[in-house]
Amino acid sequence: MYELLAIILKFISIVFGGILAGFIGSLTGLGGGTVLVPLLSIFYGVPIVFATGASLISTIATSAGSASAYTKEKIANIKIGVGLEVATTIGAVVGSLLTVYLDHHALTWLIYVIFGIVLLGSLVPAVKRGQSELPPHTRPDWTTRIFELSGKYHDARLKKDVDYNGIRWWLGEIIMFFAGTVSGLLGIGSGALKVLGMDWAMNLPMKVTTTTSNFMIGITAATGSSIYWYSGYIQIFIAAATAIGVVIGAYFGAKALVKITNKDIRWIFLAILSFLGVEMIIRGFVTDNIIFIVPLIQFLISIVIAVVFIAVLYLHNMRRVRSVEAL
Amino acid sequence: MKHFDVYRIISASLRTGVILSMASVISGIVIIMVKGGADGYTLAQIASYSKSQTLYSSLIPLNNLFTGMYQLDGAFYVAFGLWVLIFTPITVVVIALMSFIETRNRLYIALSSCVLFVLFFAMLVVPHFLS
Repeated sequence: MYELLAIILKFISIVFGGILAGFIGSLTGLGGGTVLVPLLSIFYGVPIVFATGASLISTIATSAGSASAYTKEKIANIKIGVGLEVATTIGAVVGSLLTVYLDHHALTWLIYVIFGIVLLGSLVPAVKRGQSELPPHTRPDWTTRIFELSGKYHDARLKKDVDYNGIRWWLGEIIMFFAGTVSGLLGIGSGALKVLGMDWAMNLPMKVTTTTSNFMIGITAATGSSIYWYSGYIQIFIAAATAIGVVIGAYFGAKALVKITNKDIRWIFLAILSFLGVEMIIRGFVTDNIIFIVPLIQFLISIVIAVVFIAVLYLHNMRRVRSVEAL
Repeated sequence: MKHFDVYRIISASLRTGVILSMASVISGIVIIMVKGGADGYTLAQIASYSKSQTLYSSLIPLNNLFTGMYQLDGAFYVAFGLWVLIFTPITVVVIALMSFIETRNRLYIALSSCVLFVLFFAMLVVPHFLS
């Protein structure tokens, strides 16, 4: 009886971690997995492959859950999504096989380090997010016509119909291949890379980018999931708890996002994420005994680096905002 | 065939998939807790993080999925729920393919078939080489 109670509490604590991850992930736009993997591996002591496995499953759940809400608004572009999925799914196969390789060769510390680097790298576009809604006008190129990348949606906030032309389909495909690889390797949706591919490379409006990316994330994660399943990276107890938690957290995160008017609150969450990123890199070296640091010192180092990192981003961002306002 | 609203169908199938999956996962976990174990593993083993003790995906025989569910084994309910979840986004690609077939958009019929091919390659061919 006592044991049962302890296990129920353990389950609930993982669900709670999932809620937190889903909430922060959806508020910052990075997705639940980006928070979930460090949370499970650093604070819950879950082996990294189980953490990535649980995260991949949770990523499908959140993507499917929120895409069902988004697609009703008809902003997501299904043609662009399916076209780019060719590259992300191939990337996901490569990425998840890479994880299997690293796991079999006792190189899992590399997963921590790559995860940390990707996490810190994703913060840079996350900071810029929500500042420019519409891309600069560019002329359609040959891929616009062949791959039918033009579209139209109604923007409720700008109160007008927005026409857009996607360009450089090939560049989008190349970036999506890497996004897929990262997703398969780290068990995350890699929404930041997907947004980069569509926003920067293909010059699509932010709304189209985020909704289409959300719809694609599930398909990419599903590709890697079966490989993860047969490699034994999905621990059912953990995966069940996180999937439930992340779905709940993402739901509330999306609700809160609409209500939060003070943009500065996002900086607190971005700071937490940068701490997790640095901590993952250090943890990678520590687990494999490449370096030895006492946990307390390790946390302190992570905090200091994270604070510096986020301060640089904050100041850089403020200067940009000011220069935009001056115009 | 009458033109169908592809967005609405995608949205509905995603929602159905998530709800069905979550229901199955939650009932699986409840059964595991009530029965104090599943698939020959004790509750403590299932809740363990240690790779040498715990029950992880490749140890669950998917061939026995439905027999396991019939025998009210919680692990198989969780496994079923997780696989429903994995298949949910794939139905989206199938629906998109159907809409492209309807509009006779050759290029996108090819592209979505390509995505489905990679998906099934990842699910059916690649695992063969893993063990």
